[in-house]
Amino acid sequence: MSFDGILSVSEGIATIEIKGELDASTAPRFHDLIDQAAEQGAVRLEIDARHLDFLASAGLRSLVFARQKMGDEVRIAVIGATEPVSRTIRLAGFDHSIELIDA
Amino acid sequence: MAIDSGATSAKHTAEQEWCDMPLAARTAARLRIPADLESLDLVAGFVLELGRSGRLSSSETYRLRLAADELATNIVMHGYRGASGDICVDGGVAPDRVWVRFVDDAPAFDPRGGMKSPDLEMPLARRAVGGLGVFLALTAVDRFDYELVAGRNVSTLTIRRGHHDG
Repeated sequence: MSFDGILSVSEGIATIEIKGELDASTAPRFHDLIDQAAEQGAVRLEIDARHLDFLASAGLRSLVFARQKMGDEVRIAVIGATEPVSRTIRLAGFDHSIELIDA
Repeated sequence: MAIDSGATSAKHTAEQEWCDMPLAARTAARLRIPADLESLDLVAGFVLELGRSGRLSSSETYRLRLAADELATNIVMHGYRGASGDICVDGGVAPDRVWVRFVDDAPAFDPRGGMKSPDLEMPLARRAVGGLGVFLALTAVDRFDYELVAGRNVSTLTIRRGHHDG
């Protein structure tokens, strides 16, 4: 399954750009990037999902992990998710704790 | 000895054939995959091809693929639990529907029993996320059937054709 993730941190904002397909076979790689973002003490996490083609529950569990790992004061946003991806996030009710921007 | 070897070979044949038996009419394609997460790629390819043959919309194909990915993950993680095994996947296109069926040899397990609707009021950091995959699978498809047939789990996912929702 194709998946790529790139983490960059600038002025306290961690951005993880995710591309391809996020399910149980690829989620551990996303998990690692979230871990790294948390270690860098970011105050905001932006997940750029414009090129994420597929999201399964394992990817949603990574978002729960991010929410737990980053601490309550850190804002987490998913940016530019495609319609089916944002629909899955909303269906699971994650849009209460994670901002959906441009989705 | 002759009886023993006969019984062994009969069992062996049955083991080989459980994936190859004509399980239903209108079967368009069949796949036998090892029960591991790397096989999810093969499941995706299978479903995407089936969506093309059945002329499903991109949204319908996405829903079928999501359900198939979740179901296969469930079989690997909660059915076989790391033990080696096979999953037989077949599917087809009927005038009114496209279906994908999973047959596995793991202990009897009705995925519908593990379904939990997400607790939308609970903060995400404290949310129990078990059952989320089954929830997504069941809400994605138009129909989800489970049967225990000759000791094997048989789960069928169905998308109705002609509901063009984009």
